[in-house]
Amino acid sequence: MSTDRGFPASTRRAFFDRLGTGLSGIALASLLAEDGVAAEKRDPLAPRPPHHAPKAKSVIWLFMEGGPSHIDLFDPKPRLNELHGQPMPASFGKVITAMGTANNAIMGSPRTWKQYGQGGLWVSDWYPHIAGHMDDIAVLRSAWANGLNHVGSVCQMNTGDILAGRPSLGAWLTYGLGSANRDLPTFVVLTDDKEVFGGSKNWSAGFLPASYQGEQFRTGNSPILHLKSPEGVTAERQRGKLDFLKELNERWSAGKQEDSDLDARVASYELAYKMQAAAPDAVDLTRESDATRSLYGMDEEATAVFGRNCLLARRLVERGVRFVELYCGSGSGWDAHSNIEANHGKWCRASDKPIAGLLTDLKARGLLHDTLVVWGGEFGRTPFNEKGNGRDHNPWGFSMWFAGGGVKGGQAIGSTDEIGLRAADRPAHVHDIHASIMHLMGLDHLKLTYLHNGRAERATMTGGELVKEIWS
Amino acid sequence: MRLNCVVPWSAGILLSTCLLVWAEDASKPFTQAQKGWWAFQKPARPAVPAVKNTAWARTPVDAFLLAKLEERGIRPNPPADKVTLIRRAYLVLTGMPPEPDRVQAFLADESPRAFEKVVDELLASPHYGERWARHWLDLARYADSEGFKADETRPNAWRYRDYVIRAFNSDKPYTRFIEEQIAGGELFPDDPEALAASGFNRNFPDESNQANIMLRRQELLNDITDTTGAVFMGLTYGCARCHDHKYDPILHADYYRLQAFFANVKIDDGLQLESPERRAAFREQEQRWLNETASVRGEIAALLEPRQKARYKERLERFPEEIQQVLTMKPELRSPYQWQMYYKSLPQVTFTEAEVAALLKGVEKTRYKDLRGELARFDGLKPEPLAVAQGLVDAPSPAPATHILNGGAYNAPKAMVQPGFLTILDPEPAVIAPAPDGSSAGRRAALARWLARPDNPLTARVMANRIWHYQFGRGIAATPSDFGMMGERPVNKELLDYLAVRFVELGWSVKKLNREIMLSSAWQQSAAWRPEAGEADPGNRLTWRYPRHRLEGEAIRDSMLSVSGALNAGMYGPGVFPALPPGLETRGGWKENEDPAGANRRSIYIFVRRNTRYPMLQAFDMPDTHETCARRNVTVSSTQALEMLNSEVVMGWARQLAGRVRNDAGLDARGQVERAWRLVYQRPPEEAETAGALAFLERQTAAAGSFDAAFTDFCHMLINSNEFVYVN
Repeated sequence: MSTDRGFPASTRRAFFDRLGTGLSGIALASLLAEDGVAAEKRDPLAPRPPHHAPKAKSVIWLFMEGGPSHIDLFDPKPRLNELHGQPMPASFGKVITAMGTANNAIMGSPRTWKQYGQGGLWVSDWYPHIAGHMDDIAVLRSAWANGLNHVGSVCQMNTGDILAGRPSLGAWLTYGLGSANRDLPTFVVLTDDKEVFGGSKNWSAGFLPASYQGEQFRTGNSPILHLKSPEGVTAERQRGKLDFLKELNERWSAGKQEDSDLDARVASYELAYKMQAAAPDAVDLTRESDATRSLYGMDEEATAVFGRNCLLARRLVERGVRFVELYCGSGSGWDAHSNIEANHGKWCRASDKPIAGLLTDLKARGLLHDTLVVWGGEFGRTPFNEKGNGRDHNPWGFSMWFAGGGVKGGQAIGSTDEIGLRAADRPAHVHDIHASIMHLMGLDHLKLTYLHNGRAERATMTGGELVKEIWS
Repeated sequence: MRLNCVVPWSAGILLSTCLLVWAEDASKPFTQAQKGWWAFQKPARPAVPAVKNTAWARTPVDAFLLAKLEERGIRPNPPADKVTLIRRAYLVLTGMPPEPDRVQAFLADESPRAFEKVVDELLASPHYGERWARHWLDLARYADSEGFKADETRPNAWRYRDYVIRAFNSDKPYTRFIEEQIAGGELFPDDPEALAASGFNRNFPDESNQANIMLRRQELLNDITDTTGAVFMGLTYGCARCHDHKYDPILHADYYRLQAFFANVKIDDGLQLESPERRAAFREQEQRWLNETASVRGEIAALLEPRQKARYKERLERFPEEIQQVLTMKPELRSPYQWQMYYKSLPQVTFTEAEVAALLKGVEKTRYKDLRGELARFDGLKPEPLAVAQGLVDAPSPAPATHILNGGAYNAPKAMVQPGFLTILDPEPAVIAPAPDGSSAGRRAALARWLARPDNPLTARVMANRIWHYQFGRGIAATPSDFGMMGERPVNKELLDYLAVRFVELGWSVKKLNREIMLSSAWQQSAAWRPEAGEADPGNRLTWRYPRHRLEGEAIRDSMLSVSGALNAGMYGPGVFPALPPGLETRGGWKENEDPAGANRRSIYIFVRRNTRYPMLQAFDMPDTHETCARRNVTVSSTQALEMLNSEVVMGWARQLAGRVRNDAGLDARGQVERAWRLVYQRPPEEAETAGALAFLERQTAAAGSFDAAFTDFCHMLINSNEFVYVN
């Protein structure tokens, strides 16, 4: 039981109560009280052992917000082109869509497709650079989710539920594993355009303690809110203040040793002070060579913004940050209800070279083997058209891919039906995907629990089956 | 101004809901453990136990606590010193520390009633309601916005917040407080307070543009069911949404029996709070304006009509067929369920004039602008808008059937259920008495009355425990919204039962119960650690000392405002928007410039945007407002440290505090240090502290370039220190 560190004290007591042992109730109560205190007072970000040997130490999640079209990128459907212009055959079943487009005609994919690598995986001409890495990539073609709308679906891809309020996966991983670099946040979010739909709910700690929430890095050299000292406060002056604060706190805390929160507060100021130096250093890209910057596409306008974020992600995982989430097209950029050609053309171009550069760079630095890279949106897009040249939301079947961090590349997992509407073989729900990512990070999604409102909650709610094909 | 929506009538086909009505499960036998569960037994007043240390046991509360302590051979702590005591009382009751004068007067008052006077004074302070309302707003998942993507403002949600503040300040009996929040308009239709109170269950997060209305309605009902069960009954009803509760005797059917009390509700965001006279005067004045502006408004309407119709058609067609039918069918053909779909979908096909006008182009746009200009000439005739609240009312249509839902899925109905309470307490359907005039369906009223019954085993216990929780930072049962088997059992059930019975005897008065608790030796103990007691009870579960705990973010901010003299003590009204830190943006807007004086109002008045909580409060564990919160997390993080250390706002208060100190104390540095200590910590500094402070000021004057800057730094660190942010 001692390895079950997420197992809450009260559950444990309920368990003992049910055991009905002959132990004296009072002795037991005191033993458990101690446990309870220890659990409450522990340093929330202290590193903690995983449940099993992890394959990955960090996750970089490339979140294509708005919903990229799987049937125009990684999941070619010849039948779609045959049915182009016709209504969807009734055999595919009825669906309710966000924009009421279910009766619209099928729209074929005008993309040209090629097979890449030893595995012969199909990639469309929208992703030529990523295509060069297919032997490191496992494409899951049978992902599915529950939400119809962006905000619920983005929320579910992050937290498991379409209703806001639950902890995001990054928060669960932080809760489970603690921090590997206390001078930086453990869970970092980067955006490239507008505000993400649903905002910080997506990287919230939900009902977990606030220490586990994601930190959205701002652009510029002061990525964290209030990272800089107030105007006119030099490093020396700041140090002087902190020393005085320490003196005040230590004097008041004398004789209060049992209250470890008091010391934790003192420590938090020292951490903040170190972060003031470490975080600007982590985001200082001037230390990167021109060749590296160019590898990420930072020298071209179309790819500069997302390229910068990809390079930042590498610098962060290099420094032990566990979970970096990069939104591409933040604020629902990929949401191609009309003119998918222009829309996806733009965002594919913005992300292709930077992502390929990231994979190349991670590999060259020996980081890819323990960095799990995840690509995907909150859903895919429909086989039928919207407004003639766009596609509506499709949560019933879409593609995601995984690279590095123990992933067996060069393979496609699962499939959608003939027109890419629904997951067919080996459907993998968001909870299954979360469970699998946790597994690669060394956590058992069934064991990592947190007692909330009387329930031992877990990241995968009541679901979650491992998609073992990803690594085996 | 809202345009009337043009609803084309078409012969609708009745929605075929295909609901199978199954026989309800034969009532499941409960286990002995479930039947005997402490929380389901009506609390009886326990005999006050005999204790050895009769001098310490001044009140029954003390006797109950001491009996347990003596059983274990633990002595309770001696009383806290007077400064600690008055500071604790101020922080617990008002969320801000006392002014030095008040502390001095208390120290000088040697009468045995000195502390009692402080407590009475604080209970009478309007700041008490502001402090305790904040606790309740956590439970009520209160926010000023909808949540989800758009996170639109709820312009009158604050009426509910103000209601809660007034309810605590006027010491409204808790039963009445429950009745108003559950069934305000039903039970007290003419009482504007009760109408505002119905905002309690209007506080759900909502997605205004959700296309799947059936799903959305179910989610809102789930929110209401979970919240009502947790807040008033202390039960995790939510666990029974998909199946029988795994531990507690809450049947799957019980979840929907509770939900059925709300099956007929509808949102009303225009609940009238004004007197009939004022409303009549409004209508009269409005009629004048309408008469004068008839022709120009007619022109505007004609100009907008085609756009409005087109927009209506576009939005209508986004809905699945069954919802399109609901919107377009003849009203008399709508089933009760279809009426519910109608209420929920109508706002999505109803547009404000501004929304429609935004679609105009070219000449039309210019023409519209001109017409609006003409209309504006009559603005002087317009009456002041009427005060309205946002809440829930009974829909005029009958309640649709409530079904047990398989796996909680809205489209998987099983057996039909009637409104009812927990089967283990009362297996029969609730007795519902609709008002003869049809004004009230009687459903929520029945629930409210049942909750407010003095013999309800849960109601008084749950609230008495909450009060203890807010007094000590931890409840007698440590999970205040979970009295079930997965929750923490009360460490002292007799004490909890006594408080519950006493609460009822005191007329459900929260103030009186607060007072009794605070006048006990138990509450007035020092927080000091004693090794021998700590060895016997390291977690202080038996309360042998007062549990030291950190203040909530709101109280920390309010205390900084108060000691610096920056506080704007204005009460009530729409939410305020203190500036967000640079680089933070929010969808839905943040009106920083609207009222700069509002920036220094108490934290309870800060606008609560679900997707962007005010960062300082968020950093200090403000709950996330998407569900009820009975017990806040207390985390320590470097985010908090950065906020307190580097934010210009906190630095600004430090500057103000420095100015205040120097105004009060004159030019002598030693006197300034002492004054600062008294303002921030309510006590004089010890000699070593003064020496440390003076040495710092000297060092820092060199580092910061001036004594002024150094003195600001000094004040800044005082309000960052542990002593300032802890209730000791």
